[in-house]
This record gives sequence, structure tokens and C-alpha cells, in this order.
Amino acid sequence: MSAAGPKGPPAAVHQFIPTLNPRDASGTHTLLLRDILRRAGWRSDIFAEAIHDDLASHAFKHWMYPAHAADGDVLIYQFSTSSAVAEFLYERPEPLVLDFHNFTGPEYFAGWEPHTEERAARAADELALLAPRAVLGLADSRFNETALRRAGCTATRVVPVLVDYRRVAGLVDPLVAAELATLKARGGNDILFVGRVVPSKAQHELVKALWAYRRLYDPSARLHLVGGTQSYEYTRALRGFIGDLGLTSGVRLTGELSEAALAAHFAAADVYLSLSAHEGFGVPLIEAMAAGVPVIARAVGAVPETVGDGALLLGSSDAPFVAAALHRACTDDALRAHLVAGGRTRLTAFSLDAVGPQMVDAIATVTPRPQ
Amino acid sequence: MSETVSPAAAAASDDPQAYVAKVMAEIEEDVRVRRATGDLPPKLERELDELFLAHSPVAGRGGDLAEALRMVDAATFVDPVVPVASNRAVGAAVKKGMRSLLLWYVGWITHQVSQFASAVSRTLHIIDGRLKELERKVEVQRVAGAGVVEFPALHRPDAWWVEPAVAAAAGAKGRVLTAHCGDGWLVQRIGAAGGDAYGVDPRPALTDAGSVGVTDLRGEDLAEHLRAVAPSGLGAIVLTAVVDGMASGEREQLLRLVATSLAPGGTLAVHSVSPASWTSSDAPYEADLAPGRPLRAETWRHLLEGDGYRVTVQSGPDGFDYLVTAVRDSVLSAEPTLAR
Repeated sequence: MSAAGPKGPPAAVHQFIPTLNPRDASGTHTLLLRDILRRAGWRSDIFAEAIHDDLASHAFKHWMYPAHAADGDVLIYQFSTSSAVAEFLYERPEPLVLDFHNFTGPEYFAGWEPHTEERAARAADELALLAPRAVLGLADSRFNETALRRAGCTATRVVPVLVDYRRVAGLVDPLVAAELATLKARGGNDILFVGRVVPSKAQHELVKALWAYRRLYDPSARLHLVGGTQSYEYTRALRGFIGDLGLTSGVRLTGELSEAALAAHFAAADVYLSLSAHEGFGVPLIEAMAAGVPVIARAVGAVPETVGDGALLLGSSDAPFVAAALHRACTDDALRAHLVAGGRTRLTAFSLDAVGPQMVDAIATVTPRPQ
Repeated sequence: MSETVSPAAAAASDDPQAYVAKVMAEIEEDVRVRRATGDLPPKLERELDELFLAHSPVAGRGGDLAEALRMVDAATFVDPVVPVASNRAVGAAVKKGMRSLLLWYVGWITHQVSQFASAVSRTLHIIDGRLKELERKVEVQRVAGAGVVEFPALHRPDAWWVEPAVAAAAGAKGRVLTAHCGDGWLVQRIGAAGGDAYGVDPRPALTDAGSVGVTDLRGEDLAEHLRAVAPSGLGAIVLTAVVDGMASGEREQLLRLVATSLAPGGTLAVHSVSPASWTSSDAPYEADLAPGRPLRAETWRHLLEGDGYRVTVQSGPDGFDYLVTAVRDSVLSAEPTLAR
């Protein structure tokens, strides 16, 4: 869509985000969206409550926005957690677009992390505050769109999260690749999961599945759990559980990884397995597809619509059942080929070439695209 | 270069959804066979869950406030007198000097921190006391769960309702949950008719000992189990000796969980005794002790039709019991079909 813009500088579409981090999905989404908005002709900057050191030159603190404000500005809020930015935006007069990535509900932290539980509850309150005020709600998935509408957002669109999935098939860290090759040489399949170590990602279910898989099919199999921890108690319990099951040598908790190290893990994986209890989209599922890794996932939240026909969907995380599915995906060449081909087909729906124009079209419904 | 296409790969490309459904069926068969050989004891999942929960902050530390309060109390005092030991004599002297210089300042801060912590600790103890008092009061008014109320004449393999219940469940797309399963005879019947059945019963002694090695039986509470099932994860649910003595709140909770767990187009079969049986002289003592009473079949029809089920009611020949078969509206069938 194109419309005549006002005389003078082009209209601005600025983004706000709680934390601008180069290694999380909403951070990379925000950076890619800024570039897309600029290419489409809008002025666009990023404002954040916290800015990662590596991105210090890419964003301003959110409280600095009034000095940049101009007539005709439209503000996008990348909503993924509780933040002071929410209240700040609530009090701004500019039209607000809510780009909703969902957040882990407080119930998943109950009994584990009281502070995080409180923060998650606050995020729900902030969503209820901002959703009715938004002129447009963007959601990564129909699942998230439903949550947005329930919170009171009346005009919504589903536009997938922006991720450059080519990066997982790109530069591979040679040292990490060599370490993983050494492990592979000992025999056994490599199962991969990427996600924060928190109760909602259910890494303990993955450990249960590995235990059953090793007992029934592949005694040398390994599980690689990639992701930083956001719950000390859950991580502690997970390590204790791994020790109790005698799986210390079979489960690697890598922590947060660089892009190149992550690419090495995708390159070495025989299968990607997700048993998360809650997913608003599931970027790593698509990254696995981009890396040509067969995907098995529990069908919760937005997972079924994210993976489409590109993954083996499970209705439960019952350990013996998951183990049998893993065995099949690791040993049946026809199934592997089917899943990899299905993944590549699904991937086309999430390419930057496909999603970028959808994002521009959506924003153009709020403010005309500059000529 | 020519590529050889395997028959399986060709089948996959012809009809991908049918291919995946076939693969999932084979995976389930694999699990069933392994369970039959005794590789996977019925209580395996429960034991793994208990092992993990032993590490959780609540279960691993006693599950009440007492342990947490002890930790708070222990951390309440903040010691401003820092240790000054050092490998070098001069190091110890420097540290001691710094401590003397700073103690008036650090002491002032730590005094306030300790006071704050003590206030928090006192508050928590007051809350603990009030909670215990509240628990005592609630305990008196507590409504117990319905438990399992089995009538020997009605809950047995040759009862009239078994065949129609098996027929309703065996053709389901997806797993069939049977509760309360006892030693698993109904699970076996549904399995023999082609259904992928498993059972849940709150009496672990029965599930652990019953039908050893041939069925998937889980000794756990039905509501707890349903909370752990993925949304729309079940093709059918057969309930017998479950709802009869339930209080209304427990029944409502169960129906909510069933609605979440059952796939669109899935079947719910409810076998219940009639109100007349409940007061008969051969009713088990559990009937007297149950918090609720059986509903009439027409009341079940009203409840389930209100929730969007298509309902069929069959009454037993003597009027002692009935079977309600309800098919969930398949309006959500556009969602992906789950294999389990």
C-alpha cells in the first residue's frame, strides 16, 4: 500500500522493547523489523529499558523518547515480558501497535521462582492495560492472537516473528563442531533442544525421554540442552534429576551459546525434540527445520500451527512413547526424509522475503507508507 | 545420477498425512508391544515424576512453611564482624585495621538489615500460625473426594454395559483413557477390540498388581492425570465407578478437564449406577461415605448437551445403572489430528 506522505521528513514508526538482546528472538525480530521499516521509507529507531552492550549503538533508552517525538509518530511495543516500558507507553499519546510474542504464565513458575512468578503476573496486568489501547495487535501465531483478543485488542493480525533462519545453517564454530564430532564418534544419536532452562520448557520431560530411549533403544544417546537459565531452582532440580538417573554423561547443559556454536549443535543433531508445556511460537523449531534436522514436538500452544506438516507431533510427553518416536525418527530413513522435506517446505512461510512484506502491509494500515 | 526411491518414501509423498498417521500408529504399537513384554512397568512414569519432584523447592524440602521459616530465621542475623584471618601476618593486620575503621559504618547498616529481616521473619511466623489455624478450620468442613464406589454386580466384565462402552471407545482416533480401571480388565477389552487403551485408578495396589505386563495401568488420581494430558490429547474417555458419588464441585472440575483433554469428535462414555441402586441394601459402604450421589441419566444428558456433546443414553435391564455415550462436537477438527 502506498499513500501520499506529508511534506517534510517521512513519518516515523519507532519500536520499544523491554530488553534489546542480540541473542533472543524478540531482540533479533526488533532489529530486523527496524531495517524493514527503514527500507519501506519510514524513519525508525529502537528504544529499550535495557540494552545489551553489543547493541549500545543500535538503541536509545526508552525514557529518551520524548526528545525524539514528532507529530505523526507511531509506536510499536515488542511485548514479551513485564517492563517499565509498558506504563511509559500507556501514558504516551501516540498510536500504539502491540507486537505480541506472548510470555510464560505465572503458573509455570509457581513453587519454583516466586519473583519470576510475580513478574509474569505483572506482564499479564500490563497486557490487559495496553491491549485495549492498541490501534493494532500483531501476533506471531493464531494462538497469540487469541490471547491478544482476550486481553481486549480489537484489531489484530497474525504475522510470524522475523528471524533470519539462514544463520543456523551458516557459520559453524569449528571448536564446538570438533567437540561434538568427538562425542559422535563414541556412538549414539544426538538429541537437541534449544530454549531457556525454565519449568515451562519442561527440560525434565526431555531427560525422562532420554532415559527411556537409552534404556529401550540407544544406550549411548545424548541430549544437548542449549539455553541460558532463568530459574536457579529448576536448573538445580534438573541437575539433581539427571544425577539420580545416572545420565550425567548423557545430558549436556550448554548454557547460552553464540550463533556459531548454536549452528554447530544444529549441524550435529540427529533429531530436534521439544516437549515444552507452553510455546507462543517456537523459533528453534523453525531453526531446526532450516538446519535440515527432523523435528519431534509436543503439540501445545502455537506449536501445531508453527510446524504445520513439518514435524512429528505428539499428544503427550509420556516417556516411553517419546522414546519410541525418537527411535523411529533416528532409524527410519523414509521418515527422516519426509520430516526434513516437510520442514523445508514449512520454512518458506517464515522466510524474511515472505514475512517482511506482511509486516509492512500491517503497519501501513496504521500509518501510510511514505512515498 | 539416478536416485532409488524406497516404497516407504513413495508412500510418504503420495499422501503425507496418511503416512504420518501410519507411522504414529506403528510407534504406538511398538510401545504397546514393549509394555506387554514388561520392559515398561505401569508405574514407571509415576516413579520418574516422583524422582524429579523430590528435587523441587516444595516437595524436596518438606512441602510446608516450617523448613522455609527455619531458613529465613537462620539468615536473619547479619554478622558485621568480618573474618580477618590471612596467610600473611601483615594481611591479617590490614584486614583487622580496616574492620576497626569500617565497623561503625557496616555495623549501622547491618543492624538495619537484621531488623528488617527479623520483621519479615516475625511476619512469616504470624502468617504460618494463621495458616495452620485456617487449615484446622477448613479440615473440619472439608468435602472428601468421591473415591471409588464399585458395585460387584454391576462393575464386572460380563455386565450389559461393557460391550456398548467398548464399541464406543475402540474406534476412537487416539488413545483411550479408562478410569477407574481397577486391575485393567476393561482396558484389555478395549485393546482387544482395536483401541489404544490405558487405565488410571487411584488404587496403586490394584494397578501395580493387575494384568501384569499386558496393559498400561497408572496408579494415580484421575483429575491429576487429566491435568497432565495435552489439550485434545485423547480420542476417548471411559468412566466407570468414577462419577457416581461425586460432589457437584468435583464433578464440574472433572467435566472441565475432560472437555480439555478430549479431541474434537472424541467420545466420552460414562457408566453410572442409578439413584435407586445407591440406596439399595447391597450398595457398598463407600456409597454411604461418598460426598455426593448419582445423577439420573437425563441429568447427564442435560449437562453434556449443554456442553456441546451429542448424547445417547442406554439404561440397564433392571434400572440399576445406565451408560451415557457422548460425542464431542468436532467443530475444532481443523486443528491437526494428534496421534495420542
